[in-house]
Amino acid sequence: MKMSLNWLREFVETDLEPESLARRLTETGTEVEGMEKPCSRFSGAVSARIEKLEIHPKRKDLYVAEIDTGTGRAVCVSAASNLELHSCVPYGPPGSVLADGTKIGKREFDGIKSEGMMLSAEEIGLPDVADEFGILKLDPGTPPGMDIRKLLGLDDLVFDLSITPNRGDLLSIRGLAVEVAGIVPGSRLLQTKETFPSVGDWLGDFEGVRLEDPDCSLYVLGYADSVSIRPSPVSSRVRLCLSGMRPVSNIVDATNLVMLSTGQPLHAFDADLLPGKEITVRSARDGETIVTLDGKERSLTAEDLLITSGGVPIALAGVMGGLHTEINESTRVILIESANFDSIRVSRTSRRLSLPSEASYRYARIVDPQKAKPAVCEIFGLLSSWKAARPLGMVVEGSEGEKFPKTVPLEKKTLEKILLTDDQEMASRILKRLGFEEATVLKSRRVYRVPSYRPDVSIEEDLVEEVARVWGYDKIPSRLPLGTREPGDRTDRIRCKEALRGVAMARGYVEVVTYSFISPEMLDKMGVVGADPRARALPLANPISRDQSVMRTLLAPGLLKAVESNLRSGWRGPIRLFEMGAVFLEDPATELGVKENLCIGGVACPGRDYPSPWGKEAVDDFFSVKGDVEALAASRGLDVRMVSHEEPFGHAGQTAAILLEGDAIGYLCRIKPSLQEKLSIPEPVYLFEIDMEPFIKGEPARFGEPFRFPAVFRDISLLVEKEIPSEAVAWDIRKEAAETLSELRLFDVYEGEGIPAGKRSLAFSLAYRSAERTLRDDEVDEAHERLRENLSRKGYILR
Amino acid sequence: MSDFLDKVPELKNDFIERLKKAKTPEELQSIRVGFLGKKGKVTQLLKSIGGLPETMRPEAGQRLNVLRREMEALLEERKTSLEAETFLKKERQEKIDVTLPSRGRPWGGCHPVEQVTHEAVEIFASLGFTVAFGPEMENDYYNFEALNIPPHHPARDMQDTFYVENGLLLRTHTSPVEVRALRRWGAPIRIIVPGKVYRRDNDPTHSPMFHQLEGLLVDENVSVAELKGCLEAFVGRIFGRTLDVRYRASYFPFTEPSLEMDVECVACGGENQDCRICKGTGWLEIAGSGMSHPNVLVAGGVDPSKYNGFAWGMGLDRIAMLKYGLDDLRIFFEGDLPFLTGGGQSLR
Ligand SMILES: [Zn+2]
Repeated sequence: MKMSLNWLREFVETDLEPESLARRLTETGTEVEGMEKPCSRFSGAVSARIEKLEIHPKRKDLYVAEIDTGTGRAVCVSAASNLELHSCVPYGPPGSVLADGTKIGKREFDGIKSEGMMLSAEEIGLPDVADEFGILKLDPGTPPGMDIRKLLGLDDLVFDLSITPNRGDLLSIRGLAVEVAGIVPGSRLLQTKETFPSVGDWLGDFEGVRLEDPDCSLYVLGYADSVSIRPSPVSSRVRLCLSGMRPVSNIVDATNLVMLSTGQPLHAFDADLLPGKEITVRSARDGETIVTLDGKERSLTAEDLLITSGGVPIALAGVMGGLHTEINESTRVILIESANFDSIRVSRTSRRLSLPSEASYRYARIVDPQKAKPAVCEIFGLLSSWKAARPLGMVVEGSEGEKFPKTVPLEKKTLEKILLTDDQEMASRILKRLGFEEATVLKSRRVYRVPSYRPDVSIEEDLVEEVARVWGYDKIPSRLPLGTREPGDRTDRIRCKEALRGVAMARGYVEVVTYSFISPEMLDKMGVVGADPRARALPLANPISRDQSVMRTLLAPGLLKAVESNLRSGWRGPIRLFEMGAVFLEDPATELGVKENLCIGGVACPGRDYPSPWGKEAVDDFFSVKGDVEALAASRGLDVRMVSHEEPFGHAGQTAAILLEGDAIGYLCRIKPSLQEKLSIPEPVYLFEIDMEPFIKGEPARFGEPFRFPAVFRDISLLVEKEIPSEAVAWDIRKEAAETLSELRLFDVYEGEGIPAGKRSLAFSLAYRSAERTLRDDEVDEAHERLRENLSRKGYILR
Repeated sequence: MSDFLDKVPELKNDFIERLKKAKTPEELQSIRVGFLGKKGKVTQLLKSIGGLPETMRPEAGQRLNVLRREMEALLEERKTSLEAETFLKKERQEKIDVTLPSRGRPWGGCHPVEQVTHEAVEIFASLGFTVAFGPEMENDYYNFEALNIPPHHPARDMQDTFYVENGLLLRTHTSPVEVRALRRWGAPIRIIVPGKVYRRDNDPTHSPMFHQLEGLLVDENVSVAELKGCLEAFVGRIFGRTLDVRYRASYFPFTEPSLEMDVECVACGGENQDCRICKGTGWLEIAGSGMSHPNVLVAGGVDPSKYNGFAWGMGLDRIAMLKYGLDDLRIFFEGDLPFLTGGGQSLR
C-alpha cells in the first residue's frame, strides 16, 4: 500500500517527523518498507500561460510560444502539437532540472532562441499523468508563476507500507489516519465534514435493488446525471499515480480516489447501458458467462456472486465490472455501486479466475459496512467539485450493521500473565485511542466495544495484542523460562545424524543438501522405470520448472547431478559427497499415504585428470567405498554385509545390496558405464544409499573381552570356483573349524598362472586362541588338520 | 715390580688408540680378543703375576683388575655409540621430502545449514527443548487449518504453496509440527523442530526449499518475557556475542499477540548506510514469533484456559548466511564443492 503523507495529513495532525512516523508504524505492526520523495530530481519549474503561439518561420515542425511565466515573458520553441493559445503548461526555465536529472538551458532553433522549455508529463517524471501526447496541460485557470512541485502535489513523501492480512482497515488513507492517531501520542484526528449532504430519494423509472444472496449484506447505489467525461484534475491524477494507480477518466478516477481514501471499493456503471430497470445481486448459475472489463469472457459457477440487471450479468461482485456497462466517452448517466460482499466469497472467485483486483484485495480483507454510505457521499462531493456530474440520489438496500458490533472482555489477570503488567488504565487509554470504547469497568475486568472497522479483534488475546503493540514490547523484561520438567533431548535421530556426519567427513566426504524435487528425466536416464516403486515419484501440481517437478524417491539423482555440475564447472580431482534427507514413497498404509524415508547417500568419483604423486593408491574404488559404508554402520554399532545384487543404474557386475541382519537396507554400486557416459563423467562413479531408520535405533558403544592368551597362527589356501563369493568360503571355514578359531582373515586372492581356468585361489590366515589358557602347538596342529580334512570332505581343493 | 706396573698405562694407551680407530662391531670384537681374550695382552699379564714377589702380588692383581674393568666399560661405550652411528647413517639414507602432499583422504565438510542446525539444537536443548519432527509432505489441515488459517484466508497469500498432485502439499513452514506434537504429547511441552520447508519462490534470497527452526513452549502462566528470553539467549549464543535486538508487532494467524524479532546488523552494526546485508536499516529480521493462538492449542487438544504458550519460527539458511557472511542462498543446494569446502581445498 502506497501512502501519500500529504494525503494522510488531511485527516490526522501529528508533530512526528516522517522518519519517526515510519519507525512508529513499523514497530506497531505496519512495516514501512520504503519512503520515497516523488520525482525527487525534478525542480525549478513553474506554471505558465501561452500568450502567443506561432509556427516557426523556418521550421514547419516547430512552434514558437510566448508565455507568461508569472514574473515576465519568455519564448519557448517546442515540437509538441497539442499546444493551444491560453492554455496553462509547466515551464522549466534555464537552470531547472528534469526528472531524469537533465539541466535545462537556453537553446537556439534556426535563429530563434528558446529560453527553457515547456514540459511533458514524462519530463516531470510521471508519464501516466499525461492524458494526451505532448506537453502536459495544467488545469485551465492555473495562475502563472506557481511552483509546479507544490501545484501538482509532488512536495510529498510516499510511504510503501506492508499491510498484514488481518488489517484490511489500513488499506485506506482514512484508516491509516485512525491508526496513526492511535499509535502516535499527541496526534489528533481531524474532523472532515461530509463533503456532500445526504441526498434525496431515488429518481426516474429505476425499479431499485434486489438482494437475493445473503453474501451481499448491503448495497448502496448512487445516481448522477449530466456526466461529462474528461480527464480528472492534474493534481488528482498525480495523487493516483503516487498511490500506484493509473488515471483513466474523471469518473473512474473518482471511484479509485474514494476507494483509496475510504477503503470502500466503488464501481460505476453507465446507466443507459443497463439491460434492465433494476439491479439484482445473486449467485451465478453454473456455466453462466460474463465479459469482464479486461475484455475476457469468464465462465462462472454457483460459487460466484453476480450483479445482474434484467437477468444479464453486469459485474462480478467485488472482483471486476462487466465490459458492456463500462463508462465510456459518451456516458451521460451513471450508477455508482458501494456494496459489502462476503470476504470468502469474493476471494474464492478472484482466486479461481486468477483475477486479482484492488477491490477483491480489499473485500478479501473485510470492508467495514459503515463505509458504504459515506463513500458515496464522498464521490458525490468530488464529482460536483470537478463538475464532472450532477449527483441526484442514492438507494440503500440491506444493513450497515452497528458502529460497535461486538464486545470483548479484558481481564486484569490476563494482562498480568502475558504482559506482566496490571495497569488496566494504561490498557484502556491505548484501546480508546484506537477507537475502542469501554462498556463495563470492573476491578478485575473491563469489557470493550469493538469498532466496526476492526473485525480482526474478537477475543481477549486480540485486545492484549492491541495494548502490547502500542505500549511497546521493549517494556516487557526478558527472562528464561523456569521450571523445566525434564531435560531437553536432542533425540536419537539428531545423534545418529551427527555420528554419521562425523564419520563421513572424517572419511573425506563433503555434505550436500540437494532439492527434494527432481527431474523425472533423471529417473528415466537412471532406468528407474516401470514396476520399480521408485519410478512412481509424486508429481507437484504447480512446479517451478520441469527440472524440479517430482518428489525424489531416492537421493541418487541429486548426488549425481551435483557430481555432474561440479565437473562441468571445472572441478578437478576426487569428488566425495554425502547427503542425509528424506525420500518420498507412496505408501497407503501411512497416515498421509506417503512414507518419508530418511536416508543417507554418498557418491565417490576419482574426478577428472588429477594426477597425484601417489598414483592409484589414492583413488577410490568399490572396496574403498565399501569401507566407508561399513564405517558408517560401525559408528552406530552395526555390522553390514554386502551381497551381489542388481540396480537399474548399477554396473551389472559391481552392484551390491547392503544387508543388516539379512535385511536389505540399501545398495552400493558402481553406476552403469552407459549412465556415466550420459552424464559425461570421465571416471567410474560409486554410489550408495542406505535407509537411516536402523541406524537411528543403533547403539554406538559396544565393547568386548581383551585377549588374555597368545594366539597360534596357521594359513589355509583353497582352490574354489570363481563364482563362489569369498564370504561364503569364509563361512564354511568358520563352520568347520574348532571353537578355538578366533580370527579369520582373507589375505590373498589369486587367479592366473598355475590355477585352472574358472577357479581362483583364496588364502586365509587363521588365529587359534583360547580364553582360558595358552594353546599348545600340537593341539593347534590337530585342530587345523581336522579343519583341512573337513573342508576337503566338503569338496574344497586344498593347496 | 715397577717394570711390571709400568706396562699398565702403556697397555691402556694402546687400547684407547685402537678403540678410537675401530669403525665396526667386528673391529671392536678383535680388540676385545686382543686385550681381554684368553690370549689377550691383559690376560697374559695377569697370568704373569705368579712370577712376582709375594708382597707385590695383591697390588698388581688389583691394578690389573681395575684396568680390565675400565677396558670393558670403554668397549661397551664405544659399542653403543657405534650402533647409534650405524642407525643414524641408515636413517639419513631414508630421508624423505616432508613437504610432499599427504596421501589418503582429506577432511570432508559439513553443510552450512546443517552446521547451524546442529548449533541451534544444542542451544535450545540446553534450555530444555526437545527435538521433534513431522512430515515435509503435509495435508492442508496441519499446514493451514489447524494453525487458524481457514481456506480462502488472505494469510494464505503470504506463502506461495507447492501442491502435490495427490492432494497433499509441501509444508510451507515447520509450524504444522506444533499441532502434531501437542496432539501426541500434550501440555506442558517444550519442543524445537528443525527441518525443510518449501515455497514457490526463486531469487538470490529465496529458494523454493529452505530450512526453518520452529519452537514451541506450552505451560501454565507463560508470558512474553520468556519468549524474549529464549530468543535472546539463542541469538547471543549463535552469533557468539550479545547483539541489540528490537521487537516489532506483526501478524501470524497462529499467534496472538504476534511479534517479530530483529537483531542489529551483524555485518555493519547499523553503522553503514550502504550495507548490503541490512540494506542500510541496521536491523535484520531473525524470527517471527508470538503467544500461541488459543485456536491452535484447541486444535492440539490442549485446554487454553489452563495452558498458554509461545512459538517462534526462524530461517536457518538466513542465520547461516549471516553467521558465515554468505550472500547467495541458491548455491546452498547445488552441492558446489568450491563453496562447501571453503574455496576448493586441495582434495587429493
Ligand atoms: Zn548492515
